[in-house]
Amino acid sequence: MGLAQNLVFGLVTGSYIAIAAIGFTLIYGIVNMINFAYGEYLTVGAFVGVLVAGALPLPLPVAALVAMAAGGLASLVLARAFFTPINHTGPVPMLLTSIGLGLALRNGIRLAGGRSARYFDTDTTTFRFEGLPDLPVGPVDLLGDLFVTTEQLVVVGSAVAVFLALHALLTRTDVGIAMRAMGDDEDLARVRGIDTQTIRDSVWVLAGVLAALAGVLIGMQTNVSAGTGFSYILQILAAAILGGAGSPYGAIAGSYIIGLVLALSTAFLPTGMTGISTAIAFLILVVVLLVKPSGIAGQEVREA
Amino acid sequence: MSPLDRLPGGDAERAMLVGVVCILLAALFALTPLVASVPGGFYVVFEVGILFVVYGILVLGLDLQYGHTGLVNFGHVVFFAVGAYTVAMLSAQEPFAGIGLGYPWPLALVAGVLVATLLGAVVGATSLRLRDDFLAIATLATAEIFHTLFVNFRGVFGGNVGIIGVPQPVSNLAADSDTTLVATLLLFGGLTAVTFAAVTRLTEAPYGRVLRAIRADELVTRSVGKSTFTYKMQAFVYGAALAGFAGGLFALYNGAVAPGYFTIQVTVTIWIGMLLGGASNHRAVLAGLAIIMGLRLFSRFALGVAPVSADAFASIRLIVVGLILVAVIRYRPAGIWGDARELGVDS
Repeated sequence: MGLAQNLVFGLVTGSYIAIAAIGFTLIYGIVNMINFAYGEYLTVGAFVGVLVAGALPLPLPVAALVAMAAGGLASLVLARAFFTPINHTGPVPMLLTSIGLGLALRNGIRLAGGRSARYFDTDTTTFRFEGLPDLPVGPVDLLGDLFVTTEQLVVVGSAVAVFLALHALLTRTDVGIAMRAMGDDEDLARVRGIDTQTIRDSVWVLAGVLAALAGVLIGMQTNVSAGTGFSYILQILAAAILGGAGSPYGAIAGSYIIGLVLALSTAFLPTGMTGISTAIAFLILVVVLLVKPSGIAGQEVREA
Repeated sequence: MSPLDRLPGGDAERAMLVGVVCILLAALFALTPLVASVPGGFYVVFEVGILFVVYGILVLGLDLQYGHTGLVNFGHVVFFAVGAYTVAMLSAQEPFAGIGLGYPWPLALVAGVLVATLLGAVVGATSLRLRDDFLAIATLATAEIFHTLFVNFRGVFGGNVGIIGVPQPVSNLAADSDTTLVATLLLFGGLTAVTFAAVTRLTEAPYGRVLRAIRADELVTRSVGKSTFTYKMQAFVYGAALAGFAGGLFALYNGAVAPGYFTIQVTVTIWIGMLLGGASNHRAVLAGLAIIMGLRLFSRFALGVAPVSADAFASIRLIVVGLILVAVIRYRPAGIWGDARELGVDS
């Protein structure tokens, strides 16, 4: 497999990590917590998506929207039930609570959904839109030996759409501007009349929506199981910290760097060693924390 | 004057006495033809009991780091794993996969502690300046990196199978498998009691007051002239060394190491035990750990009568464990026996 093919994989991986990492980093920047249960939000989205697309069955874009709605709702409910009540206790109790919640959620999904992996049946229904010609499904031959699947194009396209929508939200809407204000200085934002609890809730919903979308997109690339989200959490964290915790634009940059590093390390590592590519992502995480903890575009995380 | 009055008074002295008595009893079982017999259904009690005392050393070390000094180490399992793997690699005879050098086990145990200590020093020196939650992430990622290495470097660490053929000294000395279980529990329990005595001595000394002062307010502690980084490093390294020791004991009892024994689940169990009992109180953290391990024991017994599959049961147990962690932080942030004022948490 050529280098170009790996770059495609890196771009795709970077895209869904980026969608997830934006939500993660917004929670960090505005609620001021590392939400370790966030990986499970991806899983919830993927499972709801598979269920709606497979069991009902509805076309995949509709299933994705339902999954995103479910993800946003789940995120808000979980935040209200578990995180908002202990908001005042500081980052460590919040982190520990999210670890406990993640453990419970992961095993709850395993209990409800079983241990076997689930698939989106992308061959039959998925990319048909009323009034539009059918999109081709399966590999598209681009440059002789470079193959890109429609699913991969959908992932990258979704990511671009999310970035544009996010940029519009943060620069053009009151909620988005309030989010940025809170990320900069919460007390100042409150004094200036921003309803901080409402903004926090909006961030939780937005993060849940993005996580669910990322989960559905991951599910389209491969299968999903109860452990899927957890297997991505450290990569999401690595991307967010590399980009600068709290900075959504940084998270996008960090995600593509992580995605490309993962894909290229697969190309250069000997067979049988490809498993350590995740270790490389974590190594980036640790090195960034040690060398430049503020990341590409974020705030200081060292002790004063 | 009754003989009881002549028993030592303090916690540390009492624990030391209990520890030495347990170790001597273990030696009695292991070295003489004396045999013990374990009633059929109680094997699991001994197995979980041995795991409890091994984890007990881990939780005492973690409590030194978090309970006393406030260091949020969420990768504690890595020091446990590194101790165990070092012992296995140095002492194992002819494993299927991975390195087994066949050196004597006492040498391997010492090396296991040293390697864990060294790793603790490296991780501490690089990460202890990070803010609490980022320290947690850095340590957790370190543990995951090592886990990935253990799984993927088959030629060195034996991959998912791990390394087998680690000598089991107690098993080799004792007459039969029942006696081995009893002697191992007594020996490891004794070593945990001795560890308890040592950390109690350390934290009751003025040294321990400095550690707790760092936890309460690092800036103030620094401003009265204490090099807080040095103290934090020491507490972190002591905890790592204890974890390496516990890992070495585990390998020598288990006769094998594999990545499955050293997952994030171990870290979570230790943390929940510590928080549930009440961080910064040595007896409380052991009691909290006993509750969590008791849950494991109970669930093993309950599995026999419950109308669900083993898989479902395992999931339910982990849901309960996760929710206990959530509930403790929310409703008893100082733990069951902890001192809320000393820990500076509001409940």
